[in-house]
This record gives sequence, C-alpha cells and structure tokens, in this order.
Amino acid sequence: MPFAKQNGQNTPAIAGISYAFPAGSRTVAELAKEQQLSSSSETLESFGFGSVHVAVEESPYELALAASTRLLDEAGIDRSSIGLLIYGGTPGCMAFASAEQAEDGAAGLCTMSRFKYPASRLQYDLDLPNAWTFAVDQLACTTLLGAARVARSLCLTEGIERALCVSSDFFPVNAGREAIFNCTSDAACAVLIERNGERNRLLSATTITKGYYWDVDALRDEIVASYFPTARHVMLKTIADAGWAPGDVDWIIPHNVSMRSWQILSGLIRLPRARVFTDNIARHGHTLAGDNFINYRDAIEGGCIEPGQRVVLFAYGFGAQWTGIAVEA
Amino acid sequence: MTLSGKVFITGASGLVGEAVLRQLLTQNPALEAFVLVRNDLRWQLASRRLGPLAGRVIPVSGDATLPGLGIDPLTRQRVERETVAIVHAAADTSFSRSLDHSRFINTLGTYHVTELALLCPALTRLVYVSTAFVAGRGTGTMRECDNGANAGWVNAYEQSKYEAEQWVRDSNLPWVIARPSTIVCRGLEGEVRQINAVHRALRVYHRGLAAMIPGDRAHKFDVITSSYVAEAIATLVWHPDAAGRTVHLCSGRRALTLGEMLDAAYDVWAECPVWRKRGLERTVITDAETYEMFERAVMETGDARLRAVISSLSHFIPQLALPKVFETSVAESLLNPAPDPATYWKPMLRRLLQTNWGHSEEVAA
Repeated sequence: MPFAKQNGQNTPAIAGISYAFPAGSRTVAELAKEQQLSSSSETLESFGFGSVHVAVEESPYELALAASTRLLDEAGIDRSSIGLLIYGGTPGCMAFASAEQAEDGAAGLCTMSRFKYPASRLQYDLDLPNAWTFAVDQLACTTLLGAARVARSLCLTEGIERALCVSSDFFPVNAGREAIFNCTSDAACAVLIERNGERNRLLSATTITKGYYWDVDALRDEIVASYFPTARHVMLKTIADAGWAPGDVDWIIPHNVSMRSWQILSGLIRLPRARVFTDNIARHGHTLAGDNFINYRDAIEGGCIEPGQRVVLFAYGFGAQWTGIAVEA
Repeated sequence: MTLSGKVFITGASGLVGEAVLRQLLTQNPALEAFVLVRNDLRWQLASRRLGPLAGRVIPVSGDATLPGLGIDPLTRQRVERETVAIVHAAADTSFSRSLDHSRFINTLGTYHVTELALLCPALTRLVYVSTAFVAGRGTGTMRECDNGANAGWVNAYEQSKYEAEQWVRDSNLPWVIARPSTIVCRGLEGEVRQINAVHRALRVYHRGLAAMIPGDRAHKFDVITSSYVAEAIATLVWHPDAAGRTVHLCSGRRALTLGEMLDAAYDVWAECPVWRKRGLERTVITDAETYEMFERAVMETGDARLRAVISSLSHFIPQLALPKVFETSVAESLLNPAPDPATYWKPMLRRLLQTNWGHSEEVAA
C-alpha cells in the first residue's frame, strides 16, 4: 500500500538505527568443521558468505538491550516521547537464556516463566514510561520490517510521536547454522520511527503472506520455487506504490541471503546487480530480522546511500512472508 | 489417390504412426499396409486400438536400426515388391538422450529406411516424419526448407532429426519431409494420449516447483494436434504436388504466445478451489541469462527432487527463449488449414488435470 503523499508532512520516517552483535564469530569453514552446515563450505562461500556472529554467553535480551540503549543514546531524545515499543524475535523467557542455555530457556515456556516477557522488561530497563509495549511474532526474517510497518501506521492513526522497534534473534544450537543455503548469524537491531521526518521517509510497504508454505520442512522445494516470483511481485508493487518505476530505484537493501539469489532476483526485476547492497553478506551473514536495517545504516555510513535516493528494503521470512518497504533516504 | 499397392509404415505403434495408419486405412477401404514391428506387445496394443482396421495390416518383424531393417529376406522381397508408399514415423522422441543414442535410432534408422525405399520399384512417395524443431537454436521465421545447421540445437533429438533429413534429401527418392511442431493433444477436445515435455513442464509449474521460465510473453510457441498431423501426412502420401517438398505441420502465425499459454494455464488451474487456495505465484517469464543462473544454482545446491525437476526441463525449456515462427505457405498450398491452438489449448489443460497428467482419474489438485 502507498503510505502518504510526499508533502513533507505526516510522513513517518526512520530516525535512527543501531545494532549489536555477540562477541563470538565463526568463519564458514569453521562452521563446516563443527558440522553446523548442511552444504559444503565451498558452496556457501561461493554464495557470498564469509563469517557469521555466534552468541554463546549472550542472551537475545542482552543483545536487544544493547542495541536499543545505543540507539537511544545516539538519538539523544527524551525517552518519555517514545509512545510505542514493539519487540520481535526470540520469544518469551527464551530471550533471557544465553545461547548455551537455550534448552533451559525453551523449557521455561512450559511453566509460569512463559509470562516473563522481554518486551515488558525492555520497556522498564530502557526507561520508556509512556511506551505502549507489545511483541510481534511469527514473521521470521520479516519481523523488523513488519514491526516498522505497524509502528508507522500507529504513529499516523494514534498520533504517536516516536516508536522503537527492536528485534533480537539467535539461531538455536541444534538448528545448525544454515537455512536453505544461507548462513545464519546472531544479532539484535533497534529502529526508531518518528511520525514526521524529512529523511528516510517510509513511502510504501507490501507484504504477501502465503500460509500454504507454513510447513517449512515438508515444502522446502516449493518454497525455493515460490521465493523468486513472489519476491519479484512484492518488490515491483512496493516500487509502484511509492510512485516510482523500477529503473528509478537507486538501492536495494537486501536481507543477507545468498549472493546468487540476489543476482537472480535483480535479473527478474531488471535492476543492475550493482544496485543491490551486498557488502554485509560476507562479513555478517544472515542475522534473520536485523539484516535490512543493519545494512541500511551501514550503507548510509559507508557513503553509498545519499539523501533523497530511492531505496527498497526487502526480506522473506519463513511462514511464509514476503515484505518490501520503500524508503526515500 | 492410389488404390493398389501397400503402404509401409514404421513407428505404427507410436503416437503419430498409429494415427497416420488409421487415417490412411480409413480414407481408403481397399488399402493394405505393412507395419514394421519392433515390439510385439506395443503392436498388439496398437492393433487392438485400430479394431477392424487392423485386419488390413501386415505386421513385419524388424528394427529400423538394423541393416535391411532387420526384416527376413523373403518378407523383405515382398515388401519391396508391393510397397508404393512409405511413411517413416519411427523415432526416439526423448529430448534427454545422448547424441550417439539419438543418432543411432533417428538418423541411422532413417538411412536404413531410405535404403529399403530405393529397392521398391513401385514406390511413389517416402514421407519422412521429422520435426519443426530441426530449426534448433535458430530464431525468427523458419522456412519450409533446409534452414541450415549454423544455429546449433537445444538437444540431441533435434540434431539427429536434422541429420536424418539430410539423408532423405540426398536420396533421389520421391520424398516429402513432414515437420510437425509439438503435439499436445489429439484434437479439439484436448485428449492427451502421450505425455511429452510440454505436459511435464506444465505439471512442474502446476505444482509450484519451478520459479521461472525463460523467454518473453510475446514469443510464440508452436503446438499442434495429432489429428491434424495424421490427416496432413495421409494427404501428403498421395498428393501429386508434394514430392520434394518440406512441409511445416504447425500452427505457424496463429501460434499462441508464451504469455497467452501461461495465462490460460493459470486460469484453468485456478478453476480448482483446492489449487487456488494455495495462492501459488505465477511463474516469472524472464531472460535466458537469469533462468540459467537459477538453473545452475539449483543444480549446485538443490535437493534431489528439485534437481530432478530442473534437469527434466533443461532439454526442452531453452527452446522457449528462442523465438521462432514456422512458415506454413507450403502446407497451406497442399493441406487443409491447421486448427487454431486457442480452440484446444484450454481443453488440453483441463484433460491433463482430469487425468492427473495420465497417472489416474483423480483430479490433480
């Protein structure tokens, strides 16, 4: 859907992004030695992966708190002006367990501990007294894009001045470090949305949910096949709803899935591959929900994205969700 | 129409050969035929389908890949003496064979048939059933003649049939080369007797197992019915002006575009509520380079089923990105008009669904 007229007023925008990685990391070759991959290290390296961040002692909550604190410190805003906090990522009390104790955290979901919510604790720890707080769930790698979309809508419809969206993911030890030819990484990312902004304005968003693909294991081949045409559909609609033509797009900010898949997808939407920001695929891997906003910040700081440029953020999440957001930088 | 003498048909238990045999025998109640039989069981099944017409057919054991077609000498003498027309329809139509294998069946087999034909004193016609896709990787308008070999081929089948055409052209026989395009169904009702690469590709897309297709929405892709092909070949057997002609048995300029064919397919599939509920995205028609990148990625990384799916498409699907229109002016001067593919494409799609691509009567949802 198109968001708002580009008149500079009432256009919610991204006001800040920060992220946190755990201390540990592994190269793809190391992951292969540890039998964390189902494909060969050579294959994944040829797909653009180099190393990933691996949480061991850190909990998802700690990473979320670190990313959010850094963002609020950088933004230098009055914390009482934040009227909304949306958390997404590792659910319930699992978020408080370190990666090496994840199974204990998961077991807690079957006790009263399930009501220990990271979203509430984050609101308290960050000292956000006026923030209505809730979590979004079951959006997988599109969680933060989904949260930003909800925040943008609530800013407009309920007059919320500022909203903080936070995701924090870790990949369970027993799940390995590969999801359909993508190397997964642990990270938290925080995004500040403001009701009115001159820069990084959110112009349109498109999400397609296809519940048929809910069973990831059983429909793996179908998911691989459906990924590309649906991604193309979502990206072209996002671009059109922003009032742009595909050739107008200056940058695609991807989720960090294989380089090969982005080469294919850029071919499908007939955009030069050079317009896809892929610098972070090798150095960070796929941080699930955080990729797009981590990449967006890095692309701005690295001087790639300039003010006024037209940017599309796109991610796919198991479930299955395809989401695109158009941003005028 | 010649009323005496016999026709000799190879491939008479195959899709085209059997249909031609039926057409010839039906048109001419006095006509008798020799058929070259390599596989007794397959011929018995074909014979049953022919019904009373089979009473005018003399099966001859043999094999087109063998010298003298593998026919015993006495029988061969009789065949040579009594045959007035030959229809060589035997072929291995699989796209995935090696070049050696395809040449052994299709090219060498044709050579042996021309050898027999040269020994038939009463012969008035040799119809060689080729394929429009001897055009291979060529693009643009394909004429009803030897269009050359410079463009190369998508698969060994195309090349072996092209090379077989050269034997026929050089044979000094009263030849006709009939080039059907892809046969997708029997007639306007869409009945599918034999599943081929087009049907298999449609099944892959129906199941949502292939992301994209190379080509362009506006490219034409030629298909035809077996009833038209059979009627046309039967006509060419006796037509006085057909000798030395190459004839496209194709839809030609009336061929549907890739976009029209896919739109029709998705429209028909969406008639099934169970299929529609899945919300499968329409496949993307893209350029050959992007498709090849996708194909390579799957072959390097996909699991066994996905690799098998993409591999099964690889011998056929590149043809979709090689736009060509088959000229049909010779066919139009000699034959009845080909049916409009718009009249049988959707019925064919529905028959595929009803028969679960020939696997059962259960609807393929």
